[in-house]
Amino acid sequence: MRKVQSSVPDTPVLEVSGLSVDYLLDRGDVRAVDDVSFTVSRGEFLGIVGESGCGKSTLLFAVAQLLAPPAHVAAGTVKFEGTNLVGLTDKQLSAIRWRDMSVVMQSAMNALNPVKSIGAQFKDALRAHGKPSREEIATRSAEVLRMVGIDPVHLKSYPFQLSGGMRQRSMIAMAMLFTPDLIIMDEPTSALDVVAQRSLMVQIKELQQTYGFAVIFVTHDMSLISHFSDRLMVMYAGQIDELGATKTIFDRPRHPYTQGLLEAFPSIHGPRVPLKGIPGNPPDLAMVPTGCRFHPRCPHVIERCTVIAPDLYPVDGDLVRCLRCQDGSLS
Amino acid sequence: MADLLRVEHLTRHFKIGGALSRRTLYAVDDVNFHIGEREIVALAGESGSGKSTIARLLARIYKPTAGEVFFEGKPLSAIRSRRDGLRYSGLVPMVFQDPFASINPVFRVQHGILRSLKLHRTELSAKQRLDEAARVFEVVGLGADMLQRFPYELSGGQRQRVGFAQALAMRPKLILADEPVSMLDVSIRIGLLNLMAKLRDEEGVSVLYITHDIASARYVADRLIVMYAGQIAETGPIEDVLAHPRHPYTQLLLSAVPDPRAPLSVAAETDRGEPPKVIDPAPGCRFRWRCPLAIDTCAQVTPGLAELRPGHDAACHVAQTSAEEVKAFT
Repeated sequence: MRKVQSSVPDTPVLEVSGLSVDYLLDRGDVRAVDDVSFTVSRGEFLGIVGESGCGKSTLLFAVAQLLAPPAHVAAGTVKFEGTNLVGLTDKQLSAIRWRDMSVVMQSAMNALNPVKSIGAQFKDALRAHGKPSREEIATRSAEVLRMVGIDPVHLKSYPFQLSGGMRQRSMIAMAMLFTPDLIIMDEPTSALDVVAQRSLMVQIKELQQTYGFAVIFVTHDMSLISHFSDRLMVMYAGQIDELGATKTIFDRPRHPYTQGLLEAFPSIHGPRVPLKGIPGNPPDLAMVPTGCRFHPRCPHVIERCTVIAPDLYPVDGDLVRCLRCQDGSLS
Repeated sequence: MADLLRVEHLTRHFKIGGALSRRTLYAVDDVNFHIGEREIVALAGESGSGKSTIARLLARIYKPTAGEVFFEGKPLSAIRSRRDGLRYSGLVPMVFQDPFASINPVFRVQHGILRSLKLHRTELSAKQRLDEAARVFEVVGLGADMLQRFPYELSGGQRQRVGFAQALAMRPKLILADEPVSMLDVSIRIGLLNLMAKLRDEEGVSVLYITHDIASARYVADRLIVMYAGQIAETGPIEDVLAHPRHPYTQLLLSAVPDPRAPLSVAAETDRGEPPKVIDPAPGCRFRWRCPLAIDTCAQVTPGLAELRPGHDAACHVAQTSAEEVKAFT
């Protein structure tokens, strides 16, 4: 039988396999993303969490093929709707970019052009993929702005005239101009206050349910996506540490790092309990520890962890990179 | 508990626009609060609510437009001499938000501490200054060998500990900590929060902890002040405020805190409003445009703080007039 076409709902939107990204530096190569494999199904919301320097942003850039030297894909494939994006020319990529896959960057303040009105920036994006008429541009621009709850009069506004929340929402509107199949979001809410953050998350989820696009959402704040993502991927030192259904991971985190992350959040509910956080600091990717990369900070470390580099093992339907979770000596 | 610091009718306006503009931004407007000894007070609110302006007023970076700050009973406006100014900034030092920008990158980390010791504690000899620097490094959980490091060798969490060590070296009574953990990784934050609690419990230092993260405020603070648009919306013992929030804005803020331990549900009604910029305000409650409970009075009279529970005040007409607790947001 022939390979199923991308239009069939069951094919994953994105299939990343064995992806490694190196930064070529004078002092030697640094592997920022190490052998990462995952899939994103149609309409799925995948959360990626990790601390600064864990490679999550580099991974996003690799998926969107936005890496610039000294970073480059050292191994692996990124299949978007069946096409391997690695090695495509800019021209081939630009046909896909924004129309089928769009990116919302962390800081809308820097991602929007400060000297062009919002409407002019929408127009640029629309004209990059076809020859829409002036009316079509106006209609579509107003439409997407309304989708994110902004009055279309702001098409005439410049970024500095909008609040942080509105800027971030207009970035999302811009990402939806062509109703893509996948929107990649790199900490879009980190510059916002809790109230604005919450309202933006609810809005993203509503739009996703209405229009059926898939979302990859990168954040360092695990609690933020607990109510929104379908699956969760926890990254540590360039690798996947745990990958599974969000609910399962929150109910029963298995990797000691995931457990530590979850216990690092004080709560506004329940009794006030002393928390410890995770001792130590994330490793420098140029000098990763031997064995399990988390072992110097791990409360459950045993001799074996310091020498054997663990794989991702299936444990009750989830994937966990921990020797002790695999042999059942830790649960 | 004796008041260490008392703020009365503190107001700070900023002229905005061009030289001919008469518009005035009311960044901090008639704010009253106090900080006791050995107490962590959390000052929470959205960006633009005036919390950093308050920190700068307390640090004497800004002069108040009106009102007064009393430290140990004496008004700050009475500080005239350089000696008194230095004494005050030694007793009330500041720890900044960005640990990457607040340490001079070309000097070893001991440089900042030794300099401030030289300036603020002139009685110490060079040897004693080094000993003292080693002592405060120990207190904040850094080894004395760290003194010789350069800032680039330190992680964000370690740098922020250096910030606290610098503050502590001056034997402070009150540390003004402006978002000290917001730029740190989640796994590192708790350590810094624990450090603040340790400074209170073991060194007897009070902390004004400025944050937008209510959960971390609850973790360390004794009392909470919630700011909205330059004014205090609600204040009281933190557990009481969180258990019985009376101001609708506090309720909104609490409902928005992401919490994986709360039931998995997405609230149907979501507030999409934004805090107003307070330019030449007319009387009335500044939250009324976002408030589902607003009544006619709210548009006419600016609500003042009134005690609704022991030690727990809220500035809301509806909460002050209704007998039971009204919920605007859950």
